[in-house]
Amino acid sequence: MKKVHIVLLMSVMTCLLFWTSCKKEEQAVAPPEPGNEFLTTVELVATNANDPADVQTGKWVKLNPDDTSAPDISQAFLNLKKNAVYHVAVSFLDETQTPAEDVTEEIRERQNYHLVCFDIAPGLDLTVHRTDHDTNTPALEVGLEADFTTGDAGSGDLEVTLHHQPNVKNGDCAPGSIDADVNFTININ
Amino acid sequence: MGVFSQASRNTLTGIVVDKDQHTVVSAYVHLFPDSAVTVTDTGGRFRFTDVPAGVHTLFCDALGYQGISLPLTLAGDRHVTLTLAVAANELEEVVVNSRRPPELHTATVSELKGRSLLQTRGASLGEALKQLPGLNSVQTGPSLSKPVIHGLHSNRVLLVNDGVRQQGQQWGSEHAPEIDPFVANRISVIKGAASVRYGSDAIAGVVLMTPDELPTARGIGGDVYLIGASNGRMGAASASLQGAFGKSLGGLSWRAQGTLKNAGNFRTPGYYLINTGLQEGDFSLALGYKWKGVRLNAYYSQYNNKLGIFSGAESGNLKELLSKFASAVPATPSYFSYKIDRSYQVVNHELVKASASYEPKKGGRLELTFGRQNDLRREYDSDLPYNNNPEILAKPQLSFRLITHTLELVYTQRSRKGFSGSCGLTGYTSGNVFEGIRYLIPNFRDYNGGAFAIERYQLKKVMFEAGLRYDYRWLRVYRRDPVSLQAYHSTFDYNNVTGTVGATYRYNGHFNVSVNTGTAWRAPSINELYINGIHFSDASYQIGDSSLRSERALNTSLSLGYTGARLRMNVDVYYNVLRNYIYETPLANPVTTIGGTFPAFLYTQDNVNIKGLDASLEFDVLKHLTFQSKATLVRGFNETIHDHLIYMPCDRYENGLTYQLPGMAGVQSPYVSVENVSVLKQTRVPPNIDYVPPPGGYSLFHVNAGFVLPVKQHRLDVNLAVNNVANVAYRDYLNHFRYYADEIGRNFTIRLKYSF
Repeated sequence: MKKVHIVLLMSVMTCLLFWTSCKKEEQAVAPPEPGNEFLTTVELVATNANDPADVQTGKWVKLNPDDTSAPDISQAFLNLKKNAVYHVAVSFLDETQTPAEDVTEEIRERQNYHLVCFDIAPGLDLTVHRTDHDTNTPALEVGLEADFTTGDAGSGDLEVTLHHQPNVKNGDCAPGSIDADVNFTININ
Repeated sequence: MGVFSQASRNTLTGIVVDKDQHTVVSAYVHLFPDSAVTVTDTGGRFRFTDVPAGVHTLFCDALGYQGISLPLTLAGDRHVTLTLAVAANELEEVVVNSRRPPELHTATVSELKGRSLLQTRGASLGEALKQLPGLNSVQTGPSLSKPVIHGLHSNRVLLVNDGVRQQGQQWGSEHAPEIDPFVANRISVIKGAASVRYGSDAIAGVVLMTPDELPTARGIGGDVYLIGASNGRMGAASASLQGAFGKSLGGLSWRAQGTLKNAGNFRTPGYYLINTGLQEGDFSLALGYKWKGVRLNAYYSQYNNKLGIFSGAESGNLKELLSKFASAVPATPSYFSYKIDRSYQVVNHELVKASASYEPKKGGRLELTFGRQNDLRREYDSDLPYNNNPEILAKPQLSFRLITHTLELVYTQRSRKGFSGSCGLTGYTSGNVFEGIRYLIPNFRDYNGGAFAIERYQLKKVMFEAGLRYDYRWLRVYRRDPVSLQAYHSTFDYNNVTGTVGATYRYNGHFNVSVNTGTAWRAPSINELYINGIHFSDASYQIGDSSLRSERALNTSLSLGYTGARLRMNVDVYYNVLRNYIYETPLANPVTTIGGTFPAFLYTQDNVNIKGLDASLEFDVLKHLTFQSKATLVRGFNETIHDHLIYMPCDRYENGLTYQLPGMAGVQSPYVSVENVSVLKQTRVPPNIDYVPPPGGYSLFHVNAGFVLPVKQHRLDVNLAVNNVANVAYRDYLNHFRYYADEIGRNFTIRLKYSF
């Protein structure tokens, strides 16, 4: 009698273990979410205030947003004339899509909690003033549009950071978290 | 109930005998709720003095006998006789409110029950266990805590919820145990390698949650807890109702239990931690049927928790982390609110359990346990995707669903001529589905099976124990090629044999010595194999390695204990050698993404050793004044890099005095205690792994007081606590938030427990 009981128990055991795990949902690997916009590119377009024909473009690109490959910084520079003022437009793009998706508009829609910051390397004679404002009360700068004022000739790094500051935007760069943090080389001649 | 005298101190004496009226020597007699314990002398006699009048319970257990309990109401001096029955199938049983002790009898065990468990009510499991010697906690903020045993945590600590192995995404240090501590009335921690009984992951130890047995006496009873805490303005309520039927439904018993918890922003001494609120709602239902030697049980529980993540702790790249660390105060607004915004995590854990056991009259027990767990974890980031589709915006950024089925068949043999033991077959299978805005870990299915046997032999005052187990694990990982979008899978399997050998020597009822050597193993977890991406909360890019092999540990421990009338102490020393210990090693080149530069870490495996000492002491300085002391010291060493092992707990010392006041005005067992917790700075840190130095040491004072109020036939336990009385600002090395903010400040807590 005891042996029958044990065999019965074993079969019940095996059945129970397998019948309820038969759904195999894990085999259906979810494909990448459509409509997810990644940020792959930061673009700076600088137009000389006194010479509209002098347009400089710098581009920082990493097409595979989340892997270990190196970014493409071959075009991440701006050649600016000395002692000039440039109107600069900062754009954020998703170039994993064709045509490239312009995410800047979406950031502009969320301008009340975003801020673009510019960190100038010491020794680089450049000043940056943001010229756009959001609809907070009082209005705060956004940084998608800025004026770059160059001084003497020289070269150095400009760090451009996009800050996400829900409920904490106060004009400072410190609060919130960083969505983008890229470096451009500014050459003033 | 009667009239109580102003300062009614009585003497309770007794004699312990067996069924043949022979006296039982060296029997342990425990008096509750006074937490007093004594041992019977050569005449089988025991005595408790200065016992306040009122409701008490005596528990008695001795080697070779079944434990018994005797409730009594004391209104003067009293003499009782306790009669013990010889144990049919259990040895070395410490039965207080559960039939089953941890099944490894020579392992080092610490327990949380009675008054010390009441003092933790309202806290999470990790926080509650922290006070046991040898334990620490690894935290992510004020409400997210995971237990650390002898320096190790997460999937090196196995959690067993009433006999079912808890399965969730336990690999993450921000993934707290999905268990409501209120389901258990006793929490036991096995410190050391316990794979021989529990299988994979029991490397540092096992946390066993044990509820009370379902009632057998007819009628309805239960507990209601009400807890309020000032820091976080937390309110918690938990109630449990249980009963047994008689007459035609005799043998049927049930329990219904539920917990609700709500807290808002917690406060450090200088500022509020914005968005750290939590909301929790759990319930469980149990049904049992007992007929002759057969017991059938069904159980269902749900755990639902929503936890806010401090807005100031969402770090991006390394530069951001360092600048947040450099600022004395987080750059976040400081105010109180119960509102929880993104970022937050939502965890839902559902357990269905069915068990059947059969105990024939001549002894032994056969038990079959089936469980099904559904664990859903969703993380909602404040960083929404740049999209205007409201459906996409409402989704969580990461979602993990793990469904696990477990089945276990255990046979406990009846003890015969000193031999006892158990053997069994265990198995479980899990299926994981991951969805997210970015890849983190893949889907997988695993099958695990194990067979074990543990045997014990009692020879006079020594008990020998030996065990052996074989485990097999099969893992299939499902992924999609990012370019071709073709789905494919990879398969792995793991084989492991583990064992244990130990002995316990109980000398004259006062001293005991235990020595144990055991092995344990752990298969690499899915994140160690396949993670590939940015771990934002520590500004690192993590890369897994699918060729990692199982970890194997060899743990040796020695435990010495002395229980006397005035002095009770315990010292555990251990030495744990881990081969193929998996951890992250920094890579030379960081990874640059549009979000900045992140140091890169690769999961690798090396040989490490961890040794330490846990000590606890209780000394009755005066009749009503007791001095308590605990120390937890851990030393981890990475043999491969010849340097310290990262993230080992700091040395921790707890010292306190408890004064038992005389009962007055109907109030029983009033006490006041003051405690100091001192944690030293961690100086044993290898270079280049952590970018921020360990915080300084700190010292905190806590005050705790309580009493029991009999209410008609029922009982009200009242507990008041003030933690961090001096409102000290400090940071703890094992709290992930030490990069961003201080720990919480002063906290007043009131706990009421009404038992009926």
